[in-house]
Amino acid sequence: MCLGASDPGARFEAGVRPLLAKNCYACHTATKLGGLRVDSREALLQGGNSGPAIVPGDPDRSLLVQAIRHTHASLRMPPSGRLGDAQVQQVEAWIREGAVWPGASAGRSNPDTFWSFQPVQRPQPPPVKDAAWPRSAIDRFILAKLEQRRLSPVPEAERRVWIRRVSFDLTGLPPTPEEAAAFAADHSADAYEKVVDRLLASPRYGERWARHWLDVARYSDDVLFGEAPNFYFYRDWVIEAFNEDMPYDLFAKAHFAADLLPGVDNRKLLPALTMFVDAPTEFTDDDRVDVATRGFLGLTVQCAQCHDHKYDPIPTRDYYSLLGIFRSTRYREVPLAGPEAVDKYRAHKKAVEEREREIRDFLATESRQLAEIFAASSARYLMAAWRVLGPAKETVEASAAASKLDRELLERWILYLRSPAKQHPFLREWESLLAEGAPEARMREASEAFQTLTLQVFREHRAVEEYNNVLKYGAKTGRELGDVVGKTMPRELYMLWQELAADGNPRASDAVPDAREDGVLNFRGDKVLRFLPAAWSEHVAGMRARLAGLKKAAPPPYPYLSIIEDAPEAVDLRVFVRGNSQNLGEKAPRGFLSILKDIAPEPFTKGSGRLQLAEAIANPRNPLTARVIVNRVWAHHFGQGLVRTPSNFGQTGDRPAHPELLDYLAARFMDEGWSLKRMHREIVLSATYRAGAKFSPEAYAADPDNRLHWRYPRRRLDAEALRDSLLFVAGSLSEQRGGAPAPLDDATNDRRTIYGKISRNILDPMLTLFDFPNPNQHAEQRIPTTVPLQRLFLLNSPLIMRQGAALAERVAREEGPDPERRIRRAYQLLFQRPPWDSELHKGLDYVAPGNLWSQYAQALLASNEFLYGD
Amino acid sequence: MAMFSRREALKAVGGGFGWFGLASALGASATVEAPLAPKAPHFPAKAKRVVFLFLNGGISHVDSFDPKPALAKHAGKPSPIGNPKTERKTGNLMASPFRFTPRGQCGTPVSELFPQLGELMDDVCVIRSMHTDIPNHPPSLLMMNCGRNVLGTPSFGSWITYGLGAENQNLPGFVVLCPGKPSVVGAQLWGSAFLPAIYQGTHIANNEQAIDPEKLIPFLRNPSLTPQQQSKQLALLRELNREHLRARDGDAELEASIQSMEIAARMQTEALDAFDIRKETETTRERYGAHNFGRGCLMARRLLERGVRCVQVYYGAQEAWDHHADIMMHQKLAVNADRAIAAFLRDLKAAGLLDETLVLIGSEFGRTPTAEISVRQFLQNGRDHNPYGFSMLLAGGGVKGGTVHGATDDFGWYAVEKKVHVHDLHATMLHLLGFDHTKLTYHYSGRPFRLTDVEGAVVRDILA
Repeated sequence: MCLGASDPGARFEAGVRPLLAKNCYACHTATKLGGLRVDSREALLQGGNSGPAIVPGDPDRSLLVQAIRHTHASLRMPPSGRLGDAQVQQVEAWIREGAVWPGASAGRSNPDTFWSFQPVQRPQPPPVKDAAWPRSAIDRFILAKLEQRRLSPVPEAERRVWIRRVSFDLTGLPPTPEEAAAFAADHSADAYEKVVDRLLASPRYGERWARHWLDVARYSDDVLFGEAPNFYFYRDWVIEAFNEDMPYDLFAKAHFAADLLPGVDNRKLLPALTMFVDAPTEFTDDDRVDVATRGFLGLTVQCAQCHDHKYDPIPTRDYYSLLGIFRSTRYREVPLAGPEAVDKYRAHKKAVEEREREIRDFLATESRQLAEIFAASSARYLMAAWRVLGPAKETVEASAAASKLDRELLERWILYLRSPAKQHPFLREWESLLAEGAPEARMREASEAFQTLTLQVFREHRAVEEYNNVLKYGAKTGRELGDVVGKTMPRELYMLWQELAADGNPRASDAVPDAREDGVLNFRGDKVLRFLPAAWSEHVAGMRARLAGLKKAAPPPYPYLSIIEDAPEAVDLRVFVRGNSQNLGEKAPRGFLSILKDIAPEPFTKGSGRLQLAEAIANPRNPLTARVIVNRVWAHHFGQGLVRTPSNFGQTGDRPAHPELLDYLAARFMDEGWSLKRMHREIVLSATYRAGAKFSPEAYAADPDNRLHWRYPRRRLDAEALRDSLLFVAGSLSEQRGGAPAPLDDATNDRRTIYGKISRNILDPMLTLFDFPNPNQHAEQRIPTTVPLQRLFLLNSPLIMRQGAALAERVAREEGPDPERRIRRAYQLLFQRPPWDSELHKGLDYVAPGNLWSQYAQALLASNEFLYGD
Repeated sequence: MAMFSRREALKAVGGGFGWFGLASALGASATVEAPLAPKAPHFPAKAKRVVFLFLNGGISHVDSFDPKPALAKHAGKPSPIGNPKTERKTGNLMASPFRFTPRGQCGTPVSELFPQLGELMDDVCVIRSMHTDIPNHPPSLLMMNCGRNVLGTPSFGSWITYGLGAENQNLPGFVVLCPGKPSVVGAQLWGSAFLPAIYQGTHIANNEQAIDPEKLIPFLRNPSLTPQQQSKQLALLRELNREHLRARDGDAELEASIQSMEIAARMQTEALDAFDIRKETETTRERYGAHNFGRGCLMARRLLERGVRCVQVYYGAQEAWDHHADIMMHQKLAVNADRAIAAFLRDLKAAGLLDETLVLIGSEFGRTPTAEISVRQFLQNGRDHNPYGFSMLLAGGGVKGGTVHGATDDFGWYAVEKKVHVHDLHATMLHLLGFDHTKLTYHYSGRPFRLTDVEGAVVRDILA
């Protein structure tokens, strides 16, 4: 497939094919309205009831063009409205150039012959010439192909390199100097096996490999619009599942139907069902279909959401058959505590909320009444203000005392009267009278008029608010409220009320750049108490004391799982034509993909159909599930999969470089009880995995991408391995396992990265820098980048500086004052080798002038040797 | 279908687009080297950079750049064409409280909300016939920024840096200035989705607490080493890495890693300078205004001057312009926006940068000509969201200034003449940068993706 060039085929792929798919496929593929299909060149040439749809080379005579131009007498397509001119021109140009349909002969992948849809075979390892090299069946598959190409693998990696490689691969951490030394000295026949078995038995194995799975599961500790307190139960469950080597078929099934599987401890599996809740938003069933199909089956089923899949035999109906299963589920919380604890917590929470509301309501009522009382004396305050602002020039104190008015309130009035920013005109007359020095009688007249108006406005506002509150009480959600028509007041009157009585807005924001004080007459919260008899204050204090006591006696919040369960009613969807839920097409009974129908031929009718789906996915006859997971495992061990598109085993995906090896592994995996640990063991003990990273010009010329595995690829540590290893070699890494996540940029967080908080909203900057995938969607694989910002992290981040200092302290503590011994120890900790003389001298020279141990340690941690694995 | 080798595909990165996605999809065994190296677009173009001054929340077009005398005439009366479905209930037509006058030589009408910007209308093209699909913030923000109403596709800035690389290797290619989180969608609006993470926008929270660039950009400076100490440390690291490289046959990837360290070292000085608006004179800062958006526009200018490819300045956090209850609130925001935008355009022009910088000014949608009457509002003097018709301002980089393109109906409900969907805007933006929007593609999940999905037509009328 060629996308970049400017040939007609490329133009077809970029323009015409998507256009046909979007606008025509809904009616003109399997449905064949008017007898016409438009999903192949042959079908267009054959045409429908009105004859051939295209005449290659002659757009004007092509029915298709006449129909989309709306120049044909009766055929006007698409029915939803004419396409844009540019789109019509694209189709015209395509036909003029001969209606090239790339891959026309292949078209969609043929279900009867396409490789990934065929049953998994059990191929015998092929014979090889160099019988001494292979250590396992894997190696014979690899070597046979190399020999075919007259290539040979590069020499084996030295032991130090291998133990470092396998330790990173299986546990995400380097070996300790002691482990490396022990292995170097172990000349027994099973020295390698002992290392692998030790690593696989370490709980650090699960902490490493669970993270690979969490990319597939787009795991995150929050949802897009809020927090999620308990998704980590799923993360811990995955770690545990890897550590106890849960058979992968059970692992897969648990994700769909942990609550329904027969013959297992369902409760223990329940956290798996969190994966479908741990999604960007709760409304993303589409995302559920995607993670289920790309994640477990390596099929891009979501491409069939709006039209039949263009490259794979996946009709739109299949998409909605799967979607129906998820639409037949609902959210459920499963308390991880006894019913008493749950009831006690809920009852207490309710009681606290009631008490809080009680206090709030009491104060609000009092403050509102006070504002109304003050509104009724507005004229007296205005006159007192006049005596301050007007010719009398009294002080505020004097004026307030003379009129027996509240001094603070009078100050507020004066401030308000002086403010030029009033949003209503009702004090303008009063202000101009003041300005022209009008006599007291006229001021009084204006003041009283203002008071009359104010009281009227307060009454009106109260009536509007009461009316609206009744409506608000009736509606349940904010969205529903949006459709309820309320009452209002004219803006200027409202502004008068707001400036006198509304609660203020203490903090300016981008939307409201001016902070607004409380209204002139508004004394809210405890401010109102000053105006009330002592008994009121005592009452409030009493309520608060009771609330404080109640809060002190709070039972702990109980933990709970967030999972999916079957809804009471299962639903079969209809196809959303062109992905539009308002435009319904044929029925799509819940069921499995039609391409794999011999595994699950019948529609799913048991509840939502989750259990049937789970069984179909984990069925040993399913040609995809085992192949997909062993390919993922291979990809993590070798940097690329046998199929280099791990979540796309369809027509547009990669073809396996070693199809027989893939099948050998998949079959063996299933035969050995779907055990991932056995799979790892077989892979890492192979000669293929033992190969060095050395470059070979001949092999490179023949196979630059190393698809034949003539060497082991050099790789940069990923975000997790990097952070964990920094902490580990500095002696700072915590052994604490599981539990609630903590932010990774917290200086005190010394736990493994998998336990750090993953946010869909703001991803940790270090994770972002080191290619952590977007947790809002299933990640097929990470795409490593090399960018300067990564280097800034290694030079300047608080993490690297802390670990540099910690490493310096560690070697000082362990080796004493001798600088040479310290440097030697640091090299052992980081690289499991002694420094070369030149390195030793550089180190000694560097630290000598100012005892610069931390800086030196940090430089070693930032070096390529630490960052890259051979 | 033949699969090309990753190596072959990588070789083609410089020439053909779409290859790159394929290349990276094929193998994670080696890193993508120099993903931000400058690349030539499909054809020569005037615009080399893009800046989007984003008045998020939804500025009302009928109160700013699309005068509707019929509104005054029918104020308080029902809308003759009915009220299309919007987010919430709206009632009768509401006149604009703001006066419009013809501005500039071209006479493009602008309301009194934007007196200074009005003076610059000869450089501005107003598209009055914008439309989008859904009257809610998250889908419309996603459409405006990422070309789809749902999550999961890369932002326009990611596409542009993917297509063009960075002009200045010492600064990020795509910078987003927003003092907090816009809307509920947040970082998805500048995310790279399935494009490599390197193309996502670098978000800088340009609020008043963080004017010091060392606080704005993570890891930019080492707080405990002097520059001398650090350069000594770098020298050691350089030697260690060189030795490591020698023992490994000059591996290209290790070489690239060493290169990136050199760039990082330079970046420490350059970025520190670029983001530091304290280096501007008091007068200049005063011209932009002492608020988040003003500081954002000033910072944007400094970044563009230094060759940052794409900058987006959000007016503010959340949904700043979302005035459902009282359209008079627009005044308070417009005071800041007008001043900052005018200063920005003037400076860009004076520096000769406007010609090669495409400037977009606008929102995710417009507002209704009717007043919102939902009970949620404290006052019925505001307007609801209107996705059916709104305005967008374009200036600089190949845009015909002093023009108005398209029109809404008499009341400002629907775009009716020369309609421009957001997809068309994106197609035009890419065209102005030298791309055929149908060919700037990335191979993901089994098919090529592009910013304009399967839509989009270039708005040729507005091209200079």
